[in-house]
Amino acid sequence: DEEFNELCFEFGLELDEITSEKDIISKEKGEEKAKGASDTILYKIDVPANRYDLLCLEGLVRGLQVFKERISLPRYEKIIPAQGEGQRLIITEETVQVRPHAVAAVLRNITFTKERYDSFIDLQEKLHQNICRRRALVAIGTHDLDTISGPFTYTAKAPSEIKFKPLNQSQEYSASQIMDLYKTDSHLRHYLHLIENKPLYPVIYDSNGVVLSMPPIINGDHTKISVNTRNVFIECTGTDITKAKIVLDIIVTMFSEYCEKPFSVEAAEVVYPNGKTHIYPELAYRKEKVKPELINKKIGISETPSSLAKLLTRMCLKSHVTGNGNNIEIEIPPTRADIIHACDIVEDAAIAYGYNNIQMTIPKTYTIANQLPLNKLTELLRLDLAAAGFTEALTFALCSQEDIADKLGMDISATKAVRIANPKTAEFQVARTTLLPGLLKTIAANRKMPLPLKLFEISDIVVKDPNTDVGARNYRHFCAIYYNKSPGFEIIHGLLDRVMQLLEVPPNEENGYTIKATEGSAFFPGRCAEIFAKGQSIGKLGVLHPDVITKFELTMPCSALEINIEPFV
Amino acid sequence: FTEMPTDNFVESSFWNFDALFQPQQHPARDQHDTFFLQDPAEAPELPAGYMAKVKKVHSQGGYGSQGYKYEWRVEEARRNLLRTHTTSASARMLYQLARQEKFSPVKYFSIDRVFRNESLDATHLAEFHQVEGVVADRGLTLGHLMGILRQFFTKLGMEGGTQGCRGLPRAPLTSPLFSGITQLRFKPAYNPYTEPSMEVFSYHEGLKKWVEVGNSGVFRP
Repeated sequence: DEEFNELCFEFGLELDEITSEKDIISKEKGEEKAKGASDTILYKIDVPANRYDLLCLEGLVRGLQVFKERISLPRYEKIIPAQGEGQRLIITEETVQVRPHAVAAVLRNITFTKERYDSFIDLQEKLHQNICRRRALVAIGTHDLDTISGPFTYTAKAPSEIKFKPLNQSQEYSASQIMDLYKTDSHLRHYLHLIENKPLYPVIYDSNGVVLSMPPIINGDHTKISVNTRNVFIECTGTDITKAKIVLDIIVTMFSEYCEKPFSVEAAEVVYPNGKTHIYPELAYRKEKVKPELINKKIGISETPSSLAKLLTRMCLKSHVTGNGNNIEIEIPPTRADIIHACDIVEDAAIAYGYNNIQMTIPKTYTIANQLPLNKLTELLRLDLAAAGFTEALTFALCSQEDIADKLGMDISATKAVRIANPKTAEFQVARTTLLPGLLKTIAANRKMPLPLKLFEISDIVVKDPNTDVGARNYRHFCAIYYNKSPGFEIIHGLLDRVMQLLEVPPNEENGYTIKATEGSAFFPGRCAEIFAKGQSIGKLGVLHPDVITKFELTMPCSALEINIEPFV
Repeated sequence: FTEMPTDNFVESSFWNFDALFQPQQHPARDQHDTFFLQDPAEAPELPAGYMAKVKKVHSQGGYGSQGYKYEWRVEEARRNLLRTHTTSASARMLYQLARQEKFSPVKYFSIDRVFRNESLDATHLAEFHQVEGVVADRGLTLGHLMGILRQFFTKLGMEGGTQGCRGLPRAPLTSPLFSGITQLRFKPAYNPYTEPSMEVFSYHEGLKKWVEVGNSGVFRP
């Protein structure tokens, strides 16, 4: 187990959990249900999101064996059948309206066992979830070729015209009935929306009118594959042709291992509405040339070109030295669709070398350090406010609409708040435009603490601003509240004076700060003042209105101060 | 390291994802993981010249890359969201750096709030802080990144902590903070915008096992 964990770590996989079927059922449903379940050890491995070739056991084992130099990378071969003998998939122009692209291939004389069969189905599901984006981009269909006969037609028809027996069902249904049938199916109902409201549904027929599948929902029962299937017809349909090709390549490269002629795939021809034809799978091998110095330089190692070529070959990128020994030619197999730039090759070389074998050095870059002025001001104020006897709080930047409007006696439209489109809970509907609700909620959560409660926070609020490139901006606010048996207006006022003193802002109108009595919806009438400094209003202070206090589930008087500190930077 | 300005929680998908080579069909751009905004829903302004370059690299490739080969849509890039990582601020800084007349090496850092659309539980918050670091210079290597990370963690002697630092010698590094880190190991990882990428692991004496303390990588050319 340790060894495998190490191997995974080096290769870039995460061994998440070592468990067994019995353990899994035990955890989910309790020990009783787990009795009789398999005790065989299962490894849960986390595969990076861009490595589709490692999603099934076959690919994973192959990759690791090449990495350990136990086997050499197999060469995937495309066999193009003689003219007229291969399978053909004809696409009609109706599909353009709903799912225009399709690719196909054949696995000839394949031998399945229970494990291989399960793995085959599993890989399709994993690809569906991953690169196919839950079947939205690509949907995979695999069929027993011996039960049908080509040429096959991929077309789109009105729901009422499509009728077939879906997989594992006992009778025929029309397409519209099928949509209803699977509305409650926990697995399939998530895909219904992909074609539900389209006027035409995609469907694939064979030359006798047998339905192979209605992508992306379900295959026909007639063509279902079993452990005994010998010839498989694979089709991938979807809205993204690049991904469809990658998906097809992955499936055939992974499972062609079990064909009579291992690693050989029988090609199929796809005919487009305009008459053009294309042979699939592409199984393209791409050659890239990379200079060994580049690889060495980017990683910080110095390996000879031939040892670099060896490292890359271990990562399934067959390489050899060319030129005068100053270039490496790399062959990128169809299983590595994630290699799109030289830096991907550099990473693989580094992995094969072993990240932890690279010497750690410090760059010889000389730069001058600097703190952002706004943050520097914030840090200085924080220390002094704590020294003044106030406790710092750090609250959420997202809150409910009521928090910044109704509870403060204001209308939401007057707040210019930034609103979230997809909140998971009502607590995160808008971004805060004031720090006050956060502090009041903090006090409400700490009611049992001894009085007086003196809290402050210096943090960002967010408001809409049409002058910025995104349409909103942050302001750094400072907010303090005093909660006690008496409101303590004088304490909050004193705090303001202290802060201004620290900021070296004199208490006069011309070049300093003043306060003027005003009304505020959140404040007690006659106990509210607006603060002016640097030629603008920077905030308010006062005693909070009893309504506000009650709405935040508090019971004692409270005074508050909130100002924007950005003018003082 | 100079502090970067990060005082914008609201970010456009362009700076948060597209400029960082995260494809528009990537699961992280789903409703489930990102807070998208209803109001303001779209960013009015995106840098036109740069955006054209980003569009090309995603859809056709460029700068030595094959690209993702899909149809890149500007409407998707305009969608506003609450930033999911402070790397969007790094992207903006690197863009500014690129427009300078003469290149000068830089080291940037930031520590600020990020937002992920998750359900709250014992180990997950919807808002948390990330520490981010970037180094840009000529001739930087993966070994340099590892060296900086080692120095950074060795200097940390703090308890508890919050998530993420993203450091980039053209590379990011991320980490929760643990006390007295002495043993570090690096593991290959994947990020859409860095290659090579590494996860940083440290040996936790209390739990007696290796735990992930950060994520890092060298920015893709």
